Amino acid sequence: MPPNKSLFLRSTITHADVAIIGAGPAGGHAALCAAENGLSVALIDEQPEPGGQVWRQTSAAILAAPPTPESQAGKALAAALARYGATITHHADARVWQIERIDDDASNRKSSNKKPGNRKLWQLEIAAQEPHTVQARALIVATGAYEYVQPFEGWTIPGVIGLAGATALLKQDLLVPEGDIVVAGTGPLVFYVAAEIDRLGGRLAAIMTVNSRKDWLGALPAMMGRTDLLRRGLGWLTRLRRVPIHWRTAITRAHAHDNHLDALEYRALNGAGTPHGGTHKIKAAMLCIGHGLIPDTRAAQLAGLNLSYAPALGGWVPDLDPDGAPAIEGLFVCGDGRGIRGVAAAVLDGQRAGLQATAFMRADSQATQAAQAALVRPYARAARFGQAMTALSSLPAGLAAITTPQTIVCRCESLTRQDIQDEIDTRAHTHQAIKAGQRAGMGPCGGRFCHKVIGQILKACTGTTSPPPPARPPLRPIPLTTLAPEPARYEDLPLGKPTPL
Amino acid sequence: MSEPFDIAIIGGGIMGCATALRLADGGMAPIVIEQGDIGRGASSANAGTLSLQIKRVKLMPYALRGHALWESFGQAVGFRKTGGYTLAFTAQEAELLLERQRLKADAGAPIRFISPPEVRTAEPGLTERIAAASFCPADGFANSLLTGRFYRTRLGEAGIPYRTGSPVRAISRDKTFAITTPGEIITARRVLLATGGWLQSTARLLGVDVPVRTRINTVSVTERAPPLLSSQVGHATGLLTLKQKDNGTVLIGGGWQGHPNKEPSHTSMGRVNADTLRTNLALARYALPGLDQTRLLRSWTGFEGHTPDFYPLAGALPGVKDGFVLGCVRGGYTIGPYMGQLMGDFILGREPEMPLFDPARTFMQDSSL
Amino acid sequence: MNKAIITRTPKVTIYLDQTPIPAHEGERVLTALLRAGIWHLRDAPSDGAPRGGFCCMGVCQECLVCVQDQHHKTCIESCRLTAYDGLEMTSLKIYAS
Repeated sequence: MPPNKSLFLRSTITHADVAIIGAGPAGGHAALCAAENGLSVALIDEQPEPGGQVWRQTSAAILAAPPTPESQAGKALAAALARYGATITHHADARVWQIERIDDDASNRKSSNKKPGNRKLWQLEIAAQEPHTVQARALIVATGAYEYVQPFEGWTIPGVIGLAGATALLKQDLLVPEGDIVVAGTGPLVFYVAAEIDRLGGRLAAIMTVNSRKDWLGALPAMMGRTDLLRRGLGWLTRLRRVPIHWRTAITRAHAHDNHLDALEYRALNGAGTPHGGTHKIKAAMLCIGHGLIPDTRAAQLAGLNLSYAPALGGWVPDLDPDGAPAIEGLFVCGDGRGIRGVAAAVLDGQRAGLQATAFMRADSQATQAAQAALVRPYARAARFGQAMTALSSLPAGLAAITTPQTIVCRCESLTRQDIQDEIDTRAHTHQAIKAGQRAGMGPCGGRFCHKVIGQILKACTGTTSPPPPARPPLRPIPLTTLAPEPARYEDLPLGKPTPL
Repeated sequence: MSEPFDIAIIGGGIMGCATALRLADGGMAPIVIEQGDIGRGASSANAGTLSLQIKRVKLMPYALRGHALWESFGQAVGFRKTGGYTLAFTAQEAELLLERQRLKADAGAPIRFISPPEVRTAEPGLTERIAAASFCPADGFANSLLTGRFYRTRLGEAGIPYRTGSPVRAISRDKTFAITTPGEIITARRVLLATGGWLQSTARLLGVDVPVRTRINTVSVTERAPPLLSSQVGHATGLLTLKQKDNGTVLIGGGWQGHPNKEPSHTSMGRVNADTLRTNLALARYALPGLDQTRLLRSWTGFEGHTPDFYPLAGALPGVKDGFVLGCVRGGYTIGPYMGQLMGDFILGREPEMPLFDPARTFMQDSSL
Repeated sequence: MNKAIITRTPKVTIYLDQTPIPAHEGERVLTALLRAGIWHLRDAPSDGAPRGGFCCMGVCQECLVCVQDQHHKTCIESCRLTAYDGLEMTSLKIYAS
């Protein structure tokens, strides 16, 4: 096979010292830190602007708007990244779909080059306007988190959106849809979203939070380290003083009219978080609901890391040393993607990863030790606050009762809790076995919205804890036309030898 | 210590389970020991193709019987007899197709050649650029994902005990075999190694070196698409398989090689290689232009052990009394259930209906490779 | 109510299943659809039940629409699609039947 032919379908390759997946607070600050230390950076992100979900920038349609702390932080990050334009290449609107560890032929030819890790490269396949490949010696995974919603009957009805989803609408296009809005779920995000909806002129019908006032009082000691955020929270409550707040309450069912959300049922919760007492009803055109965040570990898994179960950090997290150091040479994970600790911790964790990648590139473990040590205490403080918020956002065990047997748990395949239980009854006792039998997690979301609830059901039925299925490429659904360019001539396809006769 | 089992079958894939069922039927008390889930290795990671057109000539009689077994499993494994087309896009490929399919037809597969317009009438979604084609009405596919549930259920019905999540760490031989797993030591009078791609490392536990290598086969699936294809489709070189499932997803295979894992996990022996995947998908797009409107949902790697001559290991494990080995059946998904029956008969001391493949033979390198 | 003062780009027209929908140029299509009260974007393939935007960040795949570019028709999350004048889309409601 002529070499030019075998390379025919290969996309353009660009090189960097370090590739970073995700340009949120962690990935963005990892990039800045690496660039400050003289490394070239490929910063790859799905969104048009850096900032991630928390510092999501306004879209091109917004010409002017009052700033928020999040928009200002995002703008500052974008400006800082732009100042390093010569060394940080920001691949915006770009999706990493495959991560491979390959031999570096060029470096292996140079026998003088004996630096550790220099024999291997990370190779990232990118789906973008122009599909291409990035090769780098170090890889920093900063993929953040996505939202968990405990399934309840009707949660698939148009008009029900995630709390984090609501923040995306509010931050990027400053949109509040018409009609009565109910905001519900766990943790501080409920009050942030409600306050933003109110600020942008939306009609709030009610706030329903799973937490009690006592839960919040319990979190006060951890919040004392961040009085700025505490003040901000109190500001939200002041703004929301005219909105009915139902503490220790959960939405238990949504009803549709004409293919759209029409009304919600809600019930008070007992101390375990289980609904008890009477069912109430409220009209609503939109429900924003969320029950905490889940670390997005798929890229880290694809890079080769195993997962461990850490409920206090949001669920399954990549296996790393306690200081976040890599279990695989040249691989670093930072931010909420290795456990939900919040934005302040993510910034510092990103800097830590940037410093570790610098030390790795210099093949000198001492190179950035002092700088890394200086991050330890501020990180611990920030993480303490973040984990207190994670605890407030986490699901009380009893709330699983809102997922009735008829409730859809896998949105992609419309599988109910009963379907999953039926598969378990055939002695399918792992995620993998349930996935195979029912296609749970095989749809376009890749199991991101069902693996947690399936884990709950599995635990309830069998007592076992089973890790989510392994990550498969592509990390997001990608058009075949993007993945595989059309050859000009059929003969250009590098087909190999036929299979044995 | 409890009474030893008549036989411990290491490996709970199609081969191991099918053998266990035959043995239990013949009056033996087997146990199946599986490192992961039942039927969740190569048995379910493959594309589910049941095509006589891609079987090796010498294995055709086995494939015909295996195919009949899948048909009898029916709905429980998602069996679909759709008929299958094998396509050639160049004169060179047409020549290859003619030569190969003629030999396979001579070996008993009901394969005939049909004109490109006939193919397009039956499958208007296929490319207009077909040079030659063959058709086999027996071809089709099953849903390989259902392998696990199918065999779990069959083992349960037959009262055959099995262990999952039980990788075998050691096998010692005294009067009986003692098989060490993380949870327990299982004793048995006989042992059958049916660990597929892991056969080499399993056989080493008994001090036997079997010449097994592993192929890492890439399989991909699209999201649901409008109807594009109703039959199983292959390529003259064997480097493409295409089928659209009832739910609208299109499965793309063809044995394109991924990266082998340095340390294979219990679910996989390799990882997807973007370069070979691209070629695989480009060939698929060429054959079925409607794929241009779909998105790829997932690619993964199936795997198959093979010997230097690409024929099975099926028989006595060389040098180990009461030890047996079954694996490396090229086209093992199709042929596996039948090989299990033959193997079971052999272990029961009966004359198998068809000859087995002596693991102690001298392996000739396949000259076409 | 102290509604924030926000300036947006001029309005253009986008089309879903040939229905004209006003949108600010450069905003996400999902935003324009929700502003217009269009929540039901597709039908779940397994049970035909109505679905619409859920995660709003490109993960859940519930807000998919189909767009035709120069060569191909492909599905894309409307929460990741930018609105421009004359953008034509078809919904995935048809697969329900």
